[in-house]
Amino acid sequence: MSLNESSLPLPGRDLRLPFGLAVVVLACCAPLLLGNYALHAVIISLIFLLPAHGLNLLVGYTGLLSLAQAAFFGVGAYVSALMAVHWGTPFYVNLFGAGLVAGVLALPLGIPALRLRSTSFVMCTLGFVIIGQAVAKNWISLTRGDMGLSAIPKPYFALGPASFAVSGTVGFYYLVLAIAALATFVVWLIVTSPAGRNMVAIRENETLAESVGVPTWRYKLVVFMISATFAGFGGSVYAHYLTVVSPLTFQMSNSTLMLIIVLGGGPGTISGVVFGSLLFVGLSEALRIAPELRMVAYGFCLLALVFWFPKGFAPLITRFWTMLRGRS
Amino acid sequence: MLFQISEQIVNGIVTGAVYALVAVGMTMIFGVLRAINFAHGEYYMVGTFGAWVAIEYFDLPYPVAIVAGVIATAFVALVIGQFVMRRMVGAPAEAGVLATLGIALILQNSVILLFGGGYKFFEGGYIEPVTILGVSLAEQRLLIIAVAVLVFFGLELLVTYSRMGKAMRAVSQNVECCAVVGIDVRKVVVRTFVLGAALAGLSGVLTAPVNVSVYGGMGELITFKTLPIIIMGGLGNVRGTFFAAMILGIAESLVATYVGLQFRDTVGFATLMLVLMWRPHGLFSAQARY
Repeated sequence: MSLNESSLPLPGRDLRLPFGLAVVVLACCAPLLLGNYALHAVIISLIFLLPAHGLNLLVGYTGLLSLAQAAFFGVGAYVSALMAVHWGTPFYVNLFGAGLVAGVLALPLGIPALRLRSTSFVMCTLGFVIIGQAVAKNWISLTRGDMGLSAIPKPYFALGPASFAVSGTVGFYYLVLAIAALATFVVWLIVTSPAGRNMVAIRENETLAESVGVPTWRYKLVVFMISATFAGFGGSVYAHYLTVVSPLTFQMSNSTLMLIIVLGGGPGTISGVVFGSLLFVGLSEALRIAPELRMVAYGFCLLALVFWFPKGFAPLITRFWTMLRGRS
Repeated sequence: MLFQISEQIVNGIVTGAVYALVAVGMTMIFGVLRAINFAHGEYYMVGTFGAWVAIEYFDLPYPVAIVAGVIATAFVALVIGQFVMRRMVGAPAEAGVLATLGIALILQNSVILLFGGGYKFFEGGYIEPVTILGVSLAEQRLLIIAVAVLVFFGLELLVTYSRMGKAMRAVSQNVECCAVVGIDVRKVVVRTFVLGAALAGLSGVLTAPVNVSVYGGMGELITFKTLPIIIMGGLGNVRGTFFAAMILGIAESLVATYVGLQFRDTVGFATLMLVLMWRPHGLFSAQARY
């Protein structure tokens, strides 16, 4: 009997389904549990989850460290804002427009950038953010420069004659939750597909991947475009939530925040990035109780993360999933 | 017309000298640590504030303030080097990015907490103009150029001949082999880090009289100015960094005059991208090292 126990792992209960259900219930009930301010923080986390998912495909799965997310995030925000202000198009049109423009723009930017290796690639992507901000500041006829675009309408939907607008924090929360859940599902589909395996192969050993027939160049370019599309979606939602867009959307700290979410949360895991976005954006909002010390404390948190969890929370999360599955 | 251009070029050389002093530290640190130091501009800021405190609170003369600023920076860098950078030896690149971003946040916001976020007037320096070959410029600017040339000359000697310089080059080539032959890699890393940060601090102190105003957020801009320089110069390449900084300084000054001031801050990255299209490993390195 004892031999049996030690040699065969006990078929414990698979707790993944109940856990998933609990998360869904918790997510749906969040407006009842959280105050208005906490809900706002969750909304911002979920918005930043979109570019972070894109970045995770790039950093976590394909192994390309990029800082360009804020550039595409800003492009998405501006496209969405301009469409809403000038054409008055409904929200979902703006959302797809923003994703499309960001994704297509990533093609001419990605072709030269992806020829570069490691550090040069990072710097080149950082350049996209800096130049994006300069364009937003100086193309005044379109972007109104430093004044930015304001009075962007809250998202509204128009299907035939019926139309309704999403207003209020709670309504927006459910909208963002739906978009974020959909995005997470899409990322899961990508990652678990054969394409996802090829991406990991590129991350682990690009030359080897190439030699066994993975079209590495095309993969890197397509993943770069997909990640830009996700950033564009995020920017669109951000613009509609804040109702103002300024050149500050293109700031470096947005890129670094997205990078912190992915690297801290656990590159190469989906749940890690979801956890990371809630943790790091939430942390930044929670630290507002000590406004003076806020950024200093945030810096110390980053150092603590690097020292104690050098691989982010990914190993912890993997262990957590194994535990839930009932096998130790 | 010609006169104006030559004046702009001289201004560019001054800016280039400032960038060169910051960038050379960054590129040396990259050489031994393989980490992009996103906090490097903050040491420039710490140096400036060290000198500002010396002048404002202790009424010290400017030359003493220069020393005070550099020592303050070196001290801060030593603490950070001992507690953070030592552990970055052999760590993945991502860890370096997160750690230096964290340090940048801590340094920048600690200074803002201590001294307030507003602009401060920097009193001191030699701002009397002198005229050389028809171009008049402040003595301080001449001092910056002279110091930059001296520092680079010294660094060249240090890296080529001294024991520490040889150890630095060895560490930048192969960390494991250095450990095998008995080089204390961590000590070399911390020393290089302190030296690089102190040079950034020196650059900050020297530039303060030209910039006139100092503020807590000034380091970030410098970080983003020097990042393209170290890539263009070829990572870890001291001489290349000097020339890349000069090219960028002159280009910035010409763009600011003839294209528009608002485009000045994008010159660096725009130039970088053009250079990378043509030579992906930088302008001055024969082949990519990293």
